[in-house]
Amino acid sequence: MKKILDRYHTLLTWLMVATVVVLLVPVSLQIFSRFTELIPRYLWTEEASRFLFIWLIMLGAMIGVREGTHFEVDLWPELGARGNALLKIVSNLFVLVFALVFSWWGVGFTQFGWNQTSEIADLPMWMIFIAWPVSGLTWVVFLGESFHDNVLVLMGRAPQ
Amino acid sequence: MTSAALSPGMAALVLFGGFFLMLALRVPVAFSLGLACLPILVIEPRLSPMMLFNETFKAYNSFILLAVPFFLLTANLMSVGGITDRLVRLSRAMVGNFPGALAQINVVLSVFFAGISGSSTADAASQSKIFIDAQTREGYDLSFSIAITAVSAVLAVIIPPSILMIVWGGVISVSIGALYLAGILPGLLIAGAQMVTVHVYAVKRKYPVYPRATVKEFFVSIWDSIPALTTPFIIVGGILLGWFTATESAAIAVIYAALLSIFVYREMDMKRLYGALVDTGRLAGVALFCVGTASAFGWLLAYYQIPKALLSNVSSWGLDITGVGFFIAFVFLVVGCFLDAIPAIIIVGTTLQPLAESVHMHPIQFAIIGIVSLAFGLVTPPYGMCLMIACAVARVRLRYALKDTLIMLVPMLLVLVGLILWPEVVLWLPKLISPELVK
Repeated sequence: MKKILDRYHTLLTWLMVATVVVLLVPVSLQIFSRFTELIPRYLWTEEASRFLFIWLIMLGAMIGVREGTHFEVDLWPELGARGNALLKIVSNLFVLVFALVFSWWGVGFTQFGWNQTSEIADLPMWMIFIAWPVSGLTWVVFLGESFHDNVLVLMGRAPQ
Repeated sequence: MTSAALSPGMAALVLFGGFFLMLALRVPVAFSLGLACLPILVIEPRLSPMMLFNETFKAYNSFILLAVPFFLLTANLMSVGGITDRLVRLSRAMVGNFPGALAQINVVLSVFFAGISGSSTADAASQSKIFIDAQTREGYDLSFSIAITAVSAVLAVIIPPSILMIVWGGVISVSIGALYLAGILPGLLIAGAQMVTVHVYAVKRKYPVYPRATVKEFFVSIWDSIPALTTPFIIVGGILLGWFTATESAAIAVIYAALLSIFVYREMDMKRLYGALVDTGRLAGVALFCVGTASAFGWLLAYYQIPKALLSNVSSWGLDITGVGFFIAFVFLVVGCFLDAIPAIIIVGTTLQPLAESVHMHPIQFAIIGIVSLAFGLVTPPYGMCLMIACAVARVRLRYALKDTLIMLVPMLLVLVGLILWPEVVLWLPKLISPELVK
């Protein structure tokens, strides 16, 4: 199970890196087309970069839950391993609610965009909107793993 | 709002109460903001959780914010491509013979870095790796090393280019070019204040000094750094001349840094490049995700007209322009303790704007007071990104370096007071270079 999650995690990281790199293309095209006659002044560049950007954010936010990089405010004194695990379970329950909201209403959000296309490039909007339910479901999976690990710590059986 | 099921007071209680409760339980900030909206969206018959999707979508679907990943990437490319190394050498040639040499280099490097990248978090991340370990090995106290690295990183959003200025310009419609020019002098003053602080520490604690660089070393290091040091002129000049927009300038910075690393300094390899790209995506993703949920939170505040209710009291105090300046700085400093700077601009900046207008404060001065205060928020607990990053690199808890950080903040706050009392410090350079932007 861990292995599958690791693979999925790697896949998401790859996709994220790809969006960062590809993002540079439309923005550069936009600048260079303004100054040279070599390429026409495309209109789709601005829209394409915004849509890639949305995917970049959502992919980063998905990975962030597994890596624990979402910023948090720490007001607690030093807790032991068990205390931390317990607190993590509690805070993860809140994140889980959010993940479920994103999954459940996200499906409706995607359906809403099913027959829409974007204003400039005529891209199907569901390709963008689906990032929300995908994030929600990804979080649910990653949170499940975290719950499992933290319960083990709580019972005094830390993994490895 | 006669048809609303909740009174503004009730709504404020649910929003802020929920938010702070979840923060205390260590729920990540981004999720706390989104979840705090949820009860209201369910209770209020006219709203539905769908609003969460519309608002986050609107926030992310923005060409302006694209500058964030680009500036992060620029900073990461600088470190892996050898640009930072050259700038360290130049800084060393400049201030290496001062007491507390390495800490002075830390500050000067931050100034150069600030002129190329617009992200303080990127500055804190890369300089923590360079300096904290090196300083402690030379006998500097660890808490001092963490603190000076974190506080000097805030310069990156004050000296142009700056992510915060781009966001401010986009949200509150001020010329970003004018903001860039306005940030230069305050940024240099704050850097000066930090160097004085380092000097006092260094003399008191007898921190080490390097031998003075020879004239030849000095000129060689300048020559080596010239390609890197041209970046701020390309960015700021290009925007002022109308060659490209602020977001596009960030892309230019990436391309320029990549070209330098690959063709001029030739130190980049594929593995480090991949690492730089992963770091960029990771940090951009989590930082910007928070902007989306903060926008939803801010939208609900506006829906119940909560900011207006909070401010109606303040306008009756009859503050003059200086008083309003201090009030604005105070609000941003407090908010900056709990919230990231970009969401703070979206939620608080727009709220305070009518107040600043009512006393005829210049929009550029308002912006700089706000941005400098929020920049200080990057090192104030409990939520100070730069301090958190520096402490994470040093593997200590945030409160370990707190005392030195707060001491270093005092001279910086004096500069902020100066910016409030004398608007000319902010407005002089934009008036000199492009008077048409200042009106």
